Parts: sequence; structure tokens; C-alpha cells
Amino acid sequence: MTIVNRFTSAVLTVYFWAFIGFLFAPLAVIIVFAFNQSAVPVLPINALSTRWFQRAFDDTELTGAVLRSAEIGAATGLFATALGIMASLGLSAHRLRLRAVFVAILLLPLVVPYISLAVGLLLLLNQLGLEISLGGVFLGHVVIALPFSILVVLPRLRSLDPALIEAARDLGAGQISAFNLVTLPLLLPSLVSSFLICFVTSFDEFAIASFLAPPGLPTYPVFLYSGSRTPGLLPELIAIGSLIIVGSLAIVVLAEGGRRWAERRLQGATVAAADEPAAEDVGRLAAGA
Amino acid sequence: MGGEVRLVELVKRFESFTAVDGINVTIPGGQFFSLLGPSGCGKTTTLRMVAGFDQPTSGEVLLDGVDMAGTPPNRRNVNTVFQSYALFPHLTVFDNVAFGLRRAKIDRLQIKKRVGEILDQVQLSRLASRKPSQLSGGQQQRVALARALVLKPAVLLLDEPLGALDAKLRRQLQVELKALQEQVGITFLYVTHDQEEAMTMSDHIAVMNGGHIEQVAAPRVLYEEPATAFVAEFLGVSNLMEAQATGPSGQGVALQLGAGNMVEALRGDVLARGAVRVVIRPERVEIEPAGASGSNRVAATVTRSVYLGNAVRVIVHLATGQSIVALVANTGEDTTPSWNPGAAVTCCLPPTALRVLPVNTDSQ
Repeated sequence: MTIVNRFTSAVLTVYFWAFIGFLFAPLAVIIVFAFNQSAVPVLPINALSTRWFQRAFDDTELTGAVLRSAEIGAATGLFATALGIMASLGLSAHRLRLRAVFVAILLLPLVVPYISLAVGLLLLLNQLGLEISLGGVFLGHVVIALPFSILVVLPRLRSLDPALIEAARDLGAGQISAFNLVTLPLLLPSLVSSFLICFVTSFDEFAIASFLAPPGLPTYPVFLYSGSRTPGLLPELIAIGSLIIVGSLAIVVLAEGGRRWAERRLQGATVAAADEPAAEDVGRLAAGA
Repeated sequence: MGGEVRLVELVKRFESFTAVDGINVTIPGGQFFSLLGPSGCGKTTTLRMVAGFDQPTSGEVLLDGVDMAGTPPNRRNVNTVFQSYALFPHLTVFDNVAFGLRRAKIDRLQIKKRVGEILDQVQLSRLASRKPSQLSGGQQQRVALARALVLKPAVLLLDEPLGALDAKLRRQLQVELKALQEQVGITFLYVTHDQEEAMTMSDHIAVMNGGHIEQVAAPRVLYEEPATAFVAEFLGVSNLMEAQATGPSGQGVALQLGAGNMVEALRGDVLARGAVRVVIRPERVEIEPAGASGSNRVAATVTRSVYLGNAVRVIVHLATGQSIVALVANTGEDTTPSWNPGAAVTCCLPPTALRVLPVNTDSQ
């Protein structure tokens, strides 16, 4: 290895760790300060304690907000995924005019600022004579989560061998039972991913919730935002925030691991695994049949 | 016996492309019938119309005399073995095979019995609880076959089912497939681009080209009596030569090959006159020492000879201007020295091996 190469590789190593630090330092800070005994989040940390976790769990306003967000997130995950399946089925149709246009329309919420969407929803509810409500937050979250669902489900759907559906039809299944018995089970890994991504999108969302959540019923991000300006609340928020970070990481790791496991099981088949029985098969055939 | 498929003026057009261009053929019940042709000739599209996956643009698909237009694939008494096998990856071998029986609302004991029987027949009983991904290519192919056959269809459609397998396994399965077809006695409609495969298994073959059927015949007839240059070429190598038919010669026709060389042909369209095309199979060309005399002999120069083990392939340039290939069986004699490139020889083209192609029947 030449000196230049060694230099390049050293630079890349430094860059890599700097990049990791850039990504994870803010998260690490939260987790570290969650265990800080002092009420003021400044270094140096003199003593460790779990008292802020205790305080956070005892604060029913805080836990109520987290639960509220979890419920809206779960509902959004289910609903947006269901809509995502239907939209993906439509978009993967064999012959579809203006496919690009439909894709663009469905993915539009990705690029519209959430704050504009929130204002729009607020005005719309007003025009319809409806009060702001958690239902409104849910609907807004479905709008922003749907594109993520499509982005997860559509590629999986398009990668399915169309012959699988034809085989189901050929063997006597009607269109609906072919979908239920073949398409749906094969989509399952992507449906789980879609649910989790939509859940997290909703759980994190601030702009729409801040406009549409009725007073006294804040979602977790809304509560966090208003509470962060109250110094007395800050340590609790840091504690619960650190739990949510760890929880999110766990969900991501589980979801990715689960997806890989399921896809390996469904698609099956590293080449090596399929090859060995083949040789055995030939031998058996030659001997027997 | 049922299982007769009749295609009447069948046409399938995709936007700007005509895949199947008006074919008429009757596939008798209980036959092993192949659609043979190069890729893009319309054979798979034809099969898909019989299965019900594609709707004909015009024409009819008749199954035992009943028009299948508007009958969806799940209500047709035909089943398909797909090129990719299309086994359900999330189901075990047993559940794959039971899939169709469950759709037909057969009771559970009966399903268990029938699946067990068919898995025995394709020797997969011990793998019933495995997932398709845990099987070899050959085993997957058998599952696909069992899954279709367990429903006792009137016609089994097979779309290049051996295409993904290696040559040795293919040859074994060809023999097994034919045996299986004879055993179950139902119509097999088999799509392939492999002429050897079609020859090995089929009772009858329809050779397709550019959306048309060129010829329907038994394998031997296709090889010995090709109706068109395409068929002659597609079923093994064939030497195609231009000639002038000048008049009758005994039972056959006198042909002028190039300048001056007269030969007699006894096969094919012996009544044709004027410009014709004549074919001869390489294994029918005989190579003799230079100067050998007699009728139907043409002087030639060896261009190249290749030792193949069981035979020697010799490419010769005839004095008439054409180049042809001769396949000479290995008799144990070392022919290399006398057939060096540039060596002078005489080619004998026996009258019974020369076939005059019918004029006007060629689609090229």
C-alpha cells in the first residue's frame, strides 16, 4: 500500500466516523442527559439518576399525549396501508394510461410543506362547519403517510411474478380469492414495513397536529413543543424522548430483520441451497426412474 | 375421449404487433402435441389463449367443441405448467398441490388422498412439507406438474417447462413426461423452441413462424418431408440450394444445379418446373474420392472438416457454386488426411435424398 493510499484510507475513516457522529450525536445527547440527576441539561454530569423517568411516567398529561399519538399513529398506519395497497394495485395495472401522472398525484404530499397542508385542512374543516378534532389530525396524517405506503408496497407488488396470479386463476381461484390467497400473503412483509413507516410518520408529525388537535388534547409532538419552553418540564421530556428513540430504533431493527426473514422464506433460495438437492435429484432419477 | 382443442382463424394483436395471425389447427384428444418455433413466433400467446390468460382478437378456441370465449381461466377444464413453474412460495408442496382441489371444494379426506397419490406418482411424497425454495429445479418442475395434473384437466398446457433445467436433466424429464402423458392419457399441449425436445416427445408438431403455422405433422414426416424451407431449416441443419427444374426424369424431376450439373430428385414437388429450391439433409450427402463417376454426382472441394466423435462434419464447396454441409458417420476409418481443406472430392446427392420444395408455400 502506498502512502497516498494510506492517506486516502485514513481520510475516509475519519470522514466515516464524523458522519456517524453527525447523525447520532444529537440522539446520544438526549440519552445521556436523560440520566442526568440535575434539572439543568449542562455538562459536566455530576450524578446519574432515573428520577426523570419516574417523573415522566407519573405525569398523566405527558403519558396521555404519548398514548394519543400512538393511537393516531396506529390508525394512520392501518388506514394508509390499506389505501396504499389499493393505490398500488391500480398503479401496477398492466395497461394504464397516464401512469406517471397518477404516480405524481399520489406522491404529491411528499413535497407539499406539511404546514400548508395543515392550513388547508383547517380551512376546509371550517368551510364544512366541522370542529377541529383528533379525527382531523388522523385524516391529515393519512394524507401524508399514503405516499410512504405506496413507495413501500408498489415495488414489492411489481416484483411479484404475474404468473403466480395466473397460476391461482388457472387452478380455479376467482379474482378475489387469487388476491387473498396469493397476492396478499406475498405482500405481507411490505405491509408490515408500510404500517411501521406510516406509524412513525404520524407519531412524529407536528405541523398538522398543532393546527388540528383540539386544546387540551395535544399529541406527543405538540405537547413536547409547548413543554420545551417550560424549563421545569424539560428533564421529563428528555427522559421520555430517550425512550422513544430507543423504541424507534428497536422497531426499525425488528421491521428490517422481520422483512428480510420473511422475504428469505418466501423467495427462498440462495443459489447454493438450491443446487445441492439438484445433484441428489439427478442421481436418484438415474438410479430409479 | 375428450380433450380436443380446435383453433379456428385465431388472431391475437397487441397494440402494434400481431402475435398470432390467423391459425387453424385441430389437436386431437389424448395426443402429445407441440407448438414448435423460434421466440416471438406466437406459440406462447396461442397457449395463453387456450388457458384463458389472453383473449383472442378474433377467431375461436374450441375445447371439445365448446367456444371458450368469455370463460375465465378458473372455469376452463385446462391447467397450465408455467415456464417459471409459478409455485406459490408461501405454501408447502402439499398445499401447492392441494390449491386447486380446495378451490373446487373437495372434502378434506379426498384432498389428502388425491394429493398423496399424485405426489407418489411424481416421487415427491417425502418432500410434501417442504417449501418450493427448498427444492431443486427438477423437483419444482414436478410439483408444478403434480399441481396441474391433480385436477384431472381435459388438456394440460405446458409452456417450455424444461427450459430452466440443465441439459442432462432435461433429457431425463423428456422421457418421463412422455411416459406420464401416455399413462394419464390426457391431451398435452406443449410449447417449446427446442426441436429435439419436440421430436422426442410429440405425437404431432405444429411448426410456427411469425404468427403462422408452417406445417403440422408427425415428427418423422416433418423431418423427412418438410413443406417449407423454414421447417427444413428449423428441424436440424438442412442444405438449401437454388436449382432449375428442367423436366421429368424417370419417376422424378431433372434439376440443373449451377452451370451444367444435372441431378435427379425423387422427393417433394417433382412436378415443379423453372426456378425451384431443393434441400438435402447433411447426413444424406455422401462423400466419395475425386473423380468418382455416376449420376447425381458433383465435383467439390473440401472447405473444412470437423471431427465430432460419432461423425465428421465436412463443409464442401460444390463445383456448381453452392456450399453444403455433409455429416459422415464415423466408421472407424481416419478420414482426416483425405479431407484436408482444399482436397478435391466428389459429392453424391442421392435422388431419394433430394427434396424439391413446393413453390409458393414459403412464407419467406
